[in-house]
Amino acid sequence: MVNPVYTIDFQAMASRCEIRLAAADGAEARALAEPALEEVRRIEAKYSRYRPDSIVSRINAAAGVAPVGCDEETLALLEYADAVHRSSGGRFDITSGVLRKAWDFRLGTVPSASTLEALLPLVGWQQVRREGGSVLLPQAGMELDFGGFGKEYAVDRAAEILIAQGVRHGYVNLGGDMRFLGPRPDGAEWSIGIQHPRDARATIASVPFSRGALATSGDYERFFEADGRRYCHVLDPRSGMPVSYWRSVSVVSPMAIAAGSCSTTAMLLERDGLQFLEQSGLSYLAIDQDGHIFRR
Amino acid sequence: MENKPQNGMPVGQALLAAAMLLPGIGAVHAETAPERGSIGVKYLYYKEDQPGLDRVRVHAPAVSVLAPVAGEWSVAASATVDDVSGASPRYHTAVSGASRMDDLRKAGDVTVTRYLPRGTVSVSAAYSTEHDYVSRALSMQASLASEDKNTTWNFGVGGSDDSINPVNHIVQDAGRQTVSVLAGVTQVLTPVDVGQFTLTHTQGHGYYSDPYKMADNRPDKRRQDTALLQWNHRFVALGATSRLSYRFYHDSFGISAHTLGAEWVQGLSDGWTVTPAVRLYTQRAADFYFDPVYDRTLGEPFPPGYVFGSSQASSADQRLSGFGAVTLGVKLAKQLNRDWAVDFKVERYEQRGSWRAFGSGSPGLAPMRAVSLQIGVTRQW
Repeated sequence: MVNPVYTIDFQAMASRCEIRLAAADGAEARALAEPALEEVRRIEAKYSRYRPDSIVSRINAAAGVAPVGCDEETLALLEYADAVHRSSGGRFDITSGVLRKAWDFRLGTVPSASTLEALLPLVGWQQVRREGGSVLLPQAGMELDFGGFGKEYAVDRAAEILIAQGVRHGYVNLGGDMRFLGPRPDGAEWSIGIQHPRDARATIASVPFSRGALATSGDYERFFEADGRRYCHVLDPRSGMPVSYWRSVSVVSPMAIAAGSCSTTAMLLERDGLQFLEQSGLSYLAIDQDGHIFRR
Repeated sequence: MENKPQNGMPVGQALLAAAMLLPGIGAVHAETAPERGSIGVKYLYYKEDQPGLDRVRVHAPAVSVLAPVAGEWSVAASATVDDVSGASPRYHTAVSGASRMDDLRKAGDVTVTRYLPRGTVSVSAAYSTEHDYVSRALSMQASLASEDKNTTWNFGVGGSDDSINPVNHIVQDAGRQTVSVLAGVTQVLTPVDVGQFTLTHTQGHGYYSDPYKMADNRPDKRRQDTALLQWNHRFVALGATSRLSYRFYHDSFGISAHTLGAEWVQGLSDGWTVTPAVRLYTQRAADFYFDPVYDRTLGEPFPPGYVFGSSQASSADQRLSGFGAVTLGVKLAKQLNRDWAVDFKVERYEQRGSWRAFGSGSPGLAPMRAVSLQIGVTRQW
């Protein structure tokens, strides 16, 4: 007897999320999903910029003042952020979140050059000091932001918890970043669509999956248009300005966090993103501003 | 640029190696790259015109999936994806269906699919809302294959409950309820023949009019029946496949329609296939469709003798008129190598009142023509 597939929908990290898995009945599905859901909520709380008691808030509050001792998990994530910073030629920078002070995507106004110039000195991962299990942001006003990979990290952690419980058919989807635990119970693959970057109701491509992970970055998540130009929320740490070359980049990798870092890095590298994706050795689908599709 | 291979490793693997050091996810089961899959992209260019004016232009990318039904046979199906990857927080689930089930689902909606050794059963509930439209739908589909897998039966039942609140307040809280049932069978007839027969019946009552059109007053009950017969035959010696289909449609608005479709899929050397296709369509007008002749005193868009407030059904919607249509198309596809395939399709559609078969069509409407071009690329990896 093959088990049916259940869907558990929830809201986390400001996204629509779901876990799909095969289980004997609805109660078992919920019980299997619960620890994974808990893990997502734990990561959300621990690395939220909006909670004053989170480790990120404590590090940011001590900027320019004192180093903050970090636990193993946080140190490992900072080590990972360092690796992505290096492989992206410095574009993927978890200190660039401070630029959001200049960009209000709800009001939709372009900040003045002087506003950005005042913030740019606060951006720079190379300034961050990590010594003996603690981290110091050397200047007051600097900020760390784990938003660039926190969601994908949560996808991988949740997936590991489900795998450890013996789930072999299903996947985790946190706001479009996904990790697959195995095919459908009958062995068929899951069919996953890629969001059309200019038509919220349409998909532009589809990919069958049974294992591995998929992440997509795009210029359509948060943006505004002014003077005929689109300003999206992916900001270049060198200029503080939004990138504009790609509409969307999707990357396939065995792990969601690696897929997410590659898709975001490609967005940030703009024209050079294609070369980066080619060198990554991973499968990708990228759509440029003219709607041209590049893939491997 | 520093994004060169690191330590001789491609960037992707270097990042993966870094990610493996993260706690709790380091125990990745030495998963190599995902298994071989395929990705398909289609781009559709559609242009419709009537003499003297351009009506609609659509640039629509569409996705296609090939689902093997039996042996080496494949039937093209419209894309139904399990999920959509996109930059958050946008999210939608594609659920195929006539109603607007593809809208953003509210939390708590559930689709449960049960996979059985010889079939599937799925139940889905959907709730969707737009500023002037709320739809609730529930459906169940089941498929069952015979022991030898040569026969597959499909059954479906679905219901929807919509409420319509147009912004012009012409009606308020107008409702519409429908129930649909579907039954079909797919039969492998011989090693080179597959047939499929599907019957669909939909019964509904409620508000069917177009709230944004004057003098559009349609009956509040509608019954719709469709029968679809398809037959695919493989000509082994010629390296070709024929696909024939006939569809009959009838509804209680008085519309009857016949569609005859034929395609010839010819394999050529070097991975090329060419598929010419023809589709013939004819439709009888709805009983209450009125020709573009208007009331002498009221003028356009009111039909002659129109009485305000009357419950007499009437509509000037061209889709409800009597007409015939011909679609001619050809698709050229090439499998470039093991991984890549490209295709190009061009279709010409023309609709005229005078082309109606089995009777005369609606007069006074300009012919409508459309051309569509589609270019697609499919890659497997």
